[in-house]
Amino acid sequence: MIIPVRCFTCGALIADKWEEFVRRVRRGEPPGKVLDELGVKRYCCRRMLLSHVELIDEILKFEEIRLERRPSS
Amino acid sequence: MKVRILELDDLHIKFILKGANPAFANALRRIMIAEVPSMAIDEVVFLENTSVLYDEIIAHRLALIPLRTDLESYNLPEECQCGGTGCSLCQVRLFLDIEAVDEPITVYSGHLKSEDPKVVPVKDNIPIVKLARGQKLVLEAYARLGRGKDHAKWSPVSACAYKYKPIIKINTELCNNCGLCAEICPKNVFEMVEGKIKVVNELSCSLCRACEKVCEKEAIRILGDDTTFIFNVETVGSLPPEKVVEEASKILEKKALKFIDALSSLTKEYKEGES
Repeated sequence: MIIPVRCFTCGALIADKWEEFVRRVRRGEPPGKVLDELGVKRYCCRRMLLSHVELIDEILKFEEIRLERRPSS
Repeated sequence: MKVRILELDDLHIKFILKGANPAFANALRRIMIAEVPSMAIDEVVFLENTSVLYDEIIAHRLALIPLRTDLESYNLPEECQCGGTGCSLCQVRLFLDIEAVDEPITVYSGHLKSEDPKVVPVKDNIPIVKLARGQKLVLEAYARLGRGKDHAKWSPVSACAYKYKPIIKINTELCNNCGLCAEICPKNVFEMVEGKIKVVNELSCSLCRACEKVCEKEAIRILGDDTTFIFNVETVGSLPPEKVVEEASKILEKKALKFIDALSSLTKEYKEGES
């Protein structure tokens, strides 16, 4: 749904690195290199960012559509 | 017992503990993980939540946000003079009041307003929830000191482990300098120097013994020194790493003193009963 705050396995903080990670990977940088530079060393933390799908963005679209369809009073 | 610091930065400390034993090293490790107190949100009162996440999920996310901890100014609730009901000495209130008006927004840990400017999230850019237009989130959170054994959110460390100091012995009479060990070693402990195998990185050896297995002449022996430990401690930011080690040692000392007290009062009782 939304990026987990901590790594499931070791408990290290990862959520603060998510937005920079996505921004840089979208720009075309290799994900492995970005993770290295963000200081995400262990593979437990790396998979948290690598395998995450930010589904909340998709859910929010439904809310936006509902707003648009609401008859204006 | 001797301690030597190998690496130290904001979140991470690596040190050698010399002249100890496995029981002591493990006690220190377990206290760092489960008994050094740190601050975390423990109770959340939702006044309004029209976001797409349930109250419980948001409360859980808030609890996992590491908060800067000031151990000198706060008490553990069970040790506080208020008896754990909650007073300014054992809890901090944080507020969040945010609404997405014109466009969807992300609510960050930086939006939390704390009563105490010293107890704030360690990072301001931790996403808590995303709000669509018109959605609103108003809440009041209470942060308290706690211990890792009650909930992992109170553990000040993420990775916290030790290993025996590696001892690498090469029998130069048997070794034919084939270089297989240097090739197989995942930690690059060995290096060929002028046609001869040399140990260049003894401390980084993980005691995997791949070199022992690959050596046809059986010239390499890998041993661990069980009186010398290499500790690797990584914190989540609530406390500085050196402080975590320091606090853990103090807690261990207190436990030992408590044991001595109990023991002496028991022996006294025993002797009195005998006479």
